Amino acid sequence: MGIAGSYDVAVVGAGPGGLSAAYLLAKSGFKVIVLERGREPGAKSLFGGKVYAQPLRDVWPRLDKEAPIHRWVGVERFSVSWGGRVVTLEFKAGRRVAFTTHLPELVKWMAGKAEEAGALIVDEVVVDEIIVKDGRVEGVRSGEDEVKAKIVIDAEGVNRLLLEKLGLADKPDPSRLALGVKEVLRMKPEAIESAFGLEKGEGLAWLVLGDVTRGLPGGGFIYTMRDTVSIGVVLRVSSAAEAAERGLLKEHVSRLVESFRLHPYFHRLWADADVAEYGARLAVEGGLGYMPKRLYMDGLLVVGDAAGLLLNTGYTIRGVDFAVASGRMAAEVAARALEAGDTSARVLSAYEAKLKSSFIYKELVRHRAIEDVMEDPWFFSKLPAIIVDALSQMFEADYEEPTPIEALIEAGRRRGSPLLLTIAKMLRLAEV
Amino acid sequence: MPLRILVGVKWVPNTQAVRIDPKTGTLIRQGVPSIVNPNDLAAVELALRLRDQHGGEVIAVSMAPPPAVKGLEMLLGMGVDYAYLFSDRVFAGADTLATSYVLAHGVKYVERERGKVDLLVFGQETIDSSTAHVPAQTASWLGWPYIYYARRVEVADGRVRVERVVEGYVEEYELPMPAVISVAARSFKPREVTLRGKLRAKTEKPIKIVSNKELGLDPRCVGLKGSPTIVAKVTYLPEVPRRKEVYRPRDARDGARWLLRKLLTDPETRDVILSALWGGSGAREG
Ligand SMILES: Cc1cc2nc3c(=O)[nH]c(=O)nc-3n(C[C@H](O)[C@H](O)[C@H](O)COP(=O)(O)OP(=O)(O)OC[C@H]3O[C@@H](n4cnc5c(N)ncnc54)[C@H](O)[C@@H]3O)c2cc1C
Repeated sequence: MGIAGSYDVAVVGAGPGGLSAAYLLAKSGFKVIVLERGREPGAKSLFGGKVYAQPLRDVWPRLDKEAPIHRWVGVERFSVSWGGRVVTLEFKAGRRVAFTTHLPELVKWMAGKAEEAGALIVDEVVVDEIIVKDGRVEGVRSGEDEVKAKIVIDAEGVNRLLLEKLGLADKPDPSRLALGVKEVLRMKPEAIESAFGLEKGEGLAWLVLGDVTRGLPGGGFIYTMRDTVSIGVVLRVSSAAEAAERGLLKEHVSRLVESFRLHPYFHRLWADADVAEYGARLAVEGGLGYMPKRLYMDGLLVVGDAAGLLLNTGYTIRGVDFAVASGRMAAEVAARALEAGDTSARVLSAYEAKLKSSFIYKELVRHRAIEDVMEDPWFFSKLPAIIVDALSQMFEADYEEPTPIEALIEAGRRRGSPLLLTIAKMLRLAEV
Repeated sequence: MPLRILVGVKWVPNTQAVRIDPKTGTLIRQGVPSIVNPNDLAAVELALRLRDQHGGEVIAVSMAPPPAVKGLEMLLGMGVDYAYLFSDRVFAGADTLATSYVLAHGVKYVERERGKVDLLVFGQETIDSSTAHVPAQTASWLGWPYIYYARRVEVADGRVRVERVVEGYVEEYELPMPAVISVAARSFKPREVTLRGKLRAKTEKPIKIVSNKELGLDPRCVGLKGSPTIVAKVTYLPEVPRRKEVYRPRDARDGARWLLRKLLTDPETRDVILSALWGGSGAREG
């Protein structure tokens, strides 16, 4: 009962966002505590598999040498799959931009860095409330115990119960959330390389659109790790719920992942690999729609998923690097505020300003139109079928082979999407 | 009268996540997180309740490699006052006899450092070996009375009263102290870890790691060398390949009918079913 300790900064959540802030602040000599409900940092973490490195190098310059990097992504694939036929586009990268890893490992490494720098990480503890007195945040409460802090950094992730209690965020809107279900398949490194056509140590990121989600908004993913392959399906929660209600989605989402794993085109890649792990987690769907009303108040900063900072373009997902970069910016502003002895909203508002002039916000604004696309079922149910059908007319012809445009018109006709509609939709995609 | 209560805990691989290598027959522990043996948490809870009631201190004792500090921190988070970890390379590979030998001397060591012990409590058994030997053996080394399957424990006038249920009987015992008690599984719901407790574990580090240099035990009596138990052979039950099928019945009758039809048309199951019902299908007899 009562006050268990006093700190300059209390960070809620030992995820990428919280730990980057904690590391930088502890390194600058501030007294930092991180509170994490998981058994240890990383215990609650789950993601797809690919991390953009540069924003992490900005925080941990020795990232490339020290972090648990599984494979540098050298191959990006994008597929459209429908009715057993698959169209695939492959890009062979030339530069070390992103790597694959397991998030629990990466987070554990980040936690180690923060501890080395002097941050105190307390796991197995749930924060129940951010304490506010006279409009200013004074610390956090867990059960009957309180920790006082001059600044609280909320890095609680996508399920932001604390921000809801504070009135800074509304109850989650299912159209702003996606559900990800994932399986980890164990394979020998050489088997991964030969199955996926990779060089030794090379990584692959692969997104799949179409019937892996039964045509619902979302997609499938495949990432190759050192000796595992992560596969999964992501579904927009509102669309999936609506489809289930209307009887269009009859299976449990975990069955979708199973069907994906057993899909003949993909299954041959991992054939009889063991399922070593499986899991599920909510994800921010992307865009600006999940951002809370404000990212700061007297004594409070909000970073990472909790701040709604995630970009999902359909071909890339950037959450971890955005969380880390926002953690860095929050740490910079917090350090200045603590040095000046003024942690009021006026000073902390510099964080939101910083964020809005940073690459994160620019990216979110630039790809804003993707939100409309993501909301339009046409792109998930019609487009994959049209593409696959058109190509199948062209390549599966015995005598007469239609021209591409003829094939497209015919494929559209069969799917109830006249050419003009298809063109109009594709123009919207071009805006993205 | 304040009590000094020791709780013996084991750091075990989370067996729910452990699989067996079909080729070698050994446990695949790689990547499997270890945890405090779940049954031991009931013992911790009992100890904490007795302390809350009578005052005194609760001390966790464990023989384990250093990563077990993580588990001891959790117990400190629950409110345990202090922890001793008996950790040394020579302790590795111990069976229950060698383990209890170390623990019994560990208890003596704690007594020398902190004073007379009143109770030593254990969980019912471990999830990774289920022998339930260690409490009894430790009691024997110490020469203390021992009772197991305790589900209620009270201390009064320097004696401890224990209730247990064995084969339908409720038994009540009264033991002099110090005594060793092992607690029936699930009889005390463990309390949550608190922020204050966990913070104390992290900042004050009330954990002492004791090696054999301090305990000074004969290396022939500990670890693999001190373990007369020999695992002669492990046979594992091969995983039965299942022909999973999902059927959504309209109601229970429909479901039962579907299942019965399946089982009776499949030659592999038909005989089993028929012989269970009528003592054989006829085909197998004679
Ligand atoms: C299926 C899926 C696939 C994804 N794929 C990718 C990908 O390939 N690449 C990518 O960059 N991003 C991906 N993401 C997004 C990425 O995982 C997140 O953006 C990132 O983890 C956000 O980091 P964070 O620190 O903000 O939050 P989190 O990582 O969610 O961390 C929050 C932490 O706070 C803790 N916590 C929450 N509430 C409390 C409380 N009250 N008390 C104590 N602790 C608390 C949680 O236990 C957790 O550890 C994916 C997400 C999902 C779900």
